[in-house]
Amino acid sequence: MPNIVIVGDRESGKTTFLAFLYTAQVRSGSDRADDFRFHVAYESIDEISGVFQQVMSGNFPDSAAKEGIRSISFHLGYRRSGWGIWSRLRSPGWTPGAPASLQFILLRNLEDEMDRFRKGSSLGNAMLRDVLGSEAIAILVDGRKLARAGEDRQLGPMGKYDGAVEALLTALQRSRGRGSGTSLHPLFVFTKFDAVDPGALRAAAVEGEPPEVRKAGLRTAYGEALLDHNLPNTMARVRAPEPHGMRFTTPSYFFSWVRTEAAAPGRRERIRLRRGEGGGWEPDYSKDEYLALLECLWRIARDAGG
Amino acid sequence: MPCALLGDRASGKTTFLGLLYSAQVKYGTGVQDDFRFHAPIPSLNLMSAVYEGMKDGRFPSATLKEEITELGFVFGYLRRVVGKLPYYIRQQNWVHPFSTLRFSAYDVSGEDIEEFIETGIASRPLIQQLLKSVVVVVLVDCSKMTTEVDTAGYKKMLRYDSTVAKLLVAFQTYKKQEYDRLKDSGVKADPPRIYPAFVLAKFDTLRDDVLARLGLHRGFPEGKRQRKEYAEALLRVFVPQTLSQIRGGKIAGVSMDRAAYFLSWVRTEQQEGMEPVGQPKIVRTGFAPEGGGEPDFAYDEYVEFIEHFREIAHKIPDEVLEAEKFQAQALARSA
Repeated sequence: MPNIVIVGDRESGKTTFLAFLYTAQVRSGSDRADDFRFHVAYESIDEISGVFQQVMSGNFPDSAAKEGIRSISFHLGYRRSGWGIWSRLRSPGWTPGAPASLQFILLRNLEDEMDRFRKGSSLGNAMLRDVLGSEAIAILVDGRKLARAGEDRQLGPMGKYDGAVEALLTALQRSRGRGSGTSLHPLFVFTKFDAVDPGALRAAAVEGEPPEVRKAGLRTAYGEALLDHNLPNTMARVRAPEPHGMRFTTPSYFFSWVRTEAAAPGRRERIRLRRGEGGGWEPDYSKDEYLALLECLWRIARDAGG
Repeated sequence: MPCALLGDRASGKTTFLGLLYSAQVKYGTGVQDDFRFHAPIPSLNLMSAVYEGMKDGRFPSATLKEEITELGFVFGYLRRVVGKLPYYIRQQNWVHPFSTLRFSAYDVSGEDIEEFIETGIASRPLIQQLLKSVVVVVLVDCSKMTTEVDTAGYKKMLRYDSTVAKLLVAFQTYKKQEYDRLKDSGVKADPPRIYPAFVLAKFDTLRDDVLARLGLHRGFPEGKRQRKEYAEALLRVFVPQTLSQIRGGKIAGVSMDRAAYFLSWVRTEQQEGMEPVGQPKIVRTGFAPEGGGEPDFAYDEYVEFIEHFREIAHKIPDEVLEAEKFQAQALARSA
């Protein structure tokens, strides 16, 4: 089963990210079109359905839920294309027995983990072994921490994170050895993008909202501009030619946001809910981004033979 | 073959069983004699007590429900070939004249299931029996369907959805593991299949504002496809995880695609302009030559429910034989 590592700074929204990924699956997996199906591994259902209940009630995942989630496994399937009307009538339209399986591994404290790794004490850690053997890495970039013009980026909140991510990517490359010929898919997910400072966008020479999911070229330019400004070392590592060892594929960019209701005395910040297509409630979040991400993950898993 | 009837606390399980008893009394005593019903004494006592109470216009009391912890009943369907045999032959036990389904009702908020959900360990016999089920009937309480987010009903429904989804994933995992074990032992077996059914309980209590919000009219449509679409429109909003995991069974290698949908309602007396105090009273039909004084309930839906499982009951014995063959082989090997 291919591993997808999720890394992010503290409070960057890692559990919320997983909760929305699951929410997008539940919505697509129960909609009228019935083009997408998924199965949650038995070991994962308790935790992920717990956070689903929280977000569907308008709450962000609590600290107990965050602590509980270490890894989550899904099996995904899209209806086979090319069957036309028959795909709706015939169950073989699904690929029974051969779904694309994914295991998400959450690296909670990246900087601490990398400090330990640098000291050479974490290789025995089973999770780190899974991390080093992963097929893709979802790098969460907290939109609130993007640097504004005039800020010293290396001393700012993104500086240390940039160093830690770059160190992890280097470790991943080295762990595969020369001549391995393998590749790793970097997925950059900008979280809390609704709270991004316009000054940070201007500093990266981008304007307004990120381009739509369909406009791949424009999105790449938008994402790269932000990351070149905020995670320069990471981007340099991703782009560095590696003719003999593990190479990075072209990065993909996603933008996560959720509308919220401000905290009030005695009440925490809440997720705003909106009416979904069927008339029920759902979090007011960047659903299209998560659906695009799901499809991207499915392709990665399928190509990896998951 | 074990079948599970899952429902939340106070979701209408006992009422459902009482009405099912009422329906089978009428349906199972017809001239065709191709359906029979049996229940263990404690369950039968409870179901008939519930039925008697309903004939008096009363819903089952909480004390009555607490009297029994395990509720079960058996559906028996006359095998087609056996039906063609002379009467005295088909009465012989060696003919095995009936295909049977053994239903057990489970309270998903009960101690056993809660422990299983929390620990994932199926140590209790009740859970082991539950996981072997090939038919899963999920009761969805329509009185808890609300679109008011900050209400207890909304939260209860969210929790129920999570619990049922977890149980479905547990069923799928168990069935897949059993199938893989059979395959590894060289036993030829069909890919596992679970037959799900949903009962929209207390359908008469579904609120107009909920229906309007979902763009649905009052009243369940007739056609099979229309019934499915109507029921799924409700399930998609109120138990989306359950619906997605039913569909996702295919991905897990356990088909649950043949879901069926039924309604359950019982008409209650409406007081003009007044909120009823305590439990509402059940409306009873008038006396007539074919019987009367019965609770006015969704009899046709219950007959549909009974008939839905006829084909399934006839089909399942083949799968049971495979499992028995495997167990016999395993025993022979260990001897």
